[in-house]
Amino acid sequence: MIVKNTERGYGWKQTIQWILFALLIFVCYVLMSAGSGVKPLLLIPLALCISAHTGEIPATAVGVICGLLIDLSCDKLLGFNAIWLVVCCVAVSLLHSYLLQEKLLNMLLLTGICTAVQGYVDFVFYYAIWGLEDVGLIYRHIMLPSGIMTMISLIPIYLIVRQIALRCGSRRHFELEKTIVRES
Amino acid sequence: MENFWKSTKMKVILGILALLVGVMVYAVSVGGYTISTVDFFSAITAPFQRASHSISEHVEYSIDVYRNAEKNYEDNRALRREVARLSKELADYDQTKNRLEELEAFVGIKEMYTDVTMSAPCRVTGYVTNDPFGKFRIDAGTQDGLSLWDPVVTEQGLVGVITEIGADTSTVTTVLSPDLSIAAYCSTTRDYGVLTGSVALSIDGMCKLQYLDKETLLKEDKVILTSGDNGLFPKGFVIGYVRGVQMDDSGMTAYASVEPAEDIRNLDLVTVITDFAGKSEELP
Repeated sequence: MIVKNTERGYGWKQTIQWILFALLIFVCYVLMSAGSGVKPLLLIPLALCISAHTGEIPATAVGVICGLLIDLSCDKLLGFNAIWLVVCCVAVSLLHSYLLQEKLLNMLLLTGICTAVQGYVDFVFYYAIWGLEDVGLIYRHIMLPSGIMTMISLIPIYLIVRQIALRCGSRRHFELEKTIVRES
Repeated sequence: MENFWKSTKMKVILGILALLVGVMVYAVSVGGYTISTVDFFSAITAPFQRASHSISEHVEYSIDVYRNAEKNYEDNRALRREVARLSKELADYDQTKNRLEELEAFVGIKEMYTDVTMSAPCRVTGYVTNDPFGKFRIDAGTQDGLSLWDPVVTEQGLVGVITEIGADTSTVTTVLSPDLSIAAYCSTTRDYGVLTGSVALSIDGMCKLQYLDKETLLKEDKVILTSGDNGLFPKGFVIGYVRGVQMDDSGMTAYASVEPAEDIRNLDLVTVITDFAGKSEELP
């Protein structure tokens, strides 16, 4: 068993875990906003990875915060990305509660779907519907490389978040442990 | 002992001593030059001398390290503090130097364009993530006297226009964006057109001067300036340089690819034109 906690010890570990998650969100935001080239949207995989280790309500909060930060960084309508990311974060949290195992492959699949839809909606609403000439070039030169970089960035982010969650104990582990103790 | 004084050994030693004295006297007599015998010995002994010197130095150093460890440690700490202080001073000096250069550039713009009112230099705080047209933010807003649609320039020329503004921050849409249309002309050929962004050209950091006469005389490296016709931009600001002229798809007009005078994607400091002669009161 990874986590052996009392309620109080669990609370402390959770506080540390959320401080570390907040720091990660801050670092990803700073990296995303630095420079002028094409960059990965680091906050998407981060939000999804955190959601995989938390309940639905914390996942929603993470989705809102990360989504709004993406909106600010990309100068999109405030809430444009936040709405979609909340949906994705809650879905990831639920899927990991009831259906999926916590695996890198699963996260790659979920992040791929989330990034592809986000990129497509962004492309349609911000470029395609305005009838710009050669608009496909934006997809090829910016959206696609950014999406690929986002997928690649998932791997280190997944490993970091997983380590934090394992060491600090996720709610799921704690509940599971309590159930086992109660039943035995 | 008595035997020793009378022995052959004693005689030999005395002989050697005499020889040495003789050598010494000879050495003095040559006035500072090394005598050949000494040279010969020197050549043989030199490597050993060097080795021995090296060993003794090493031993002395080791002893010194142990003997003066505390003193050396304190000296080291003092030197580190000194290095840190000097590094800070150097950083301050660099900052002051950069600031001076920035202000010199700003004064340069003010001197070039006397009929416009400009803000203080504004720092570029960051580029919008993954924006294809190089949109960026600056650290000044309404509190600094800026307004929506104010043109943004550098010493090199026009960069863009403020399209979003807050109390202390603004977002600038650049000349690479198709959202902007600027009345522009070439001062030498008198060709007039509308400068706007294009997706294809923006990838190479260029924009498009369209609606040119198909008989246009525009050539590479010609300078494109703002004409000031629509009241959004002051007249006579450099926008960029012609890099090529092509016919439009319709075949009715020509267009020129224009490379902005300023490197739009690597900006650090800009200035905002807050007022100028002929400014339109109506916002787009």
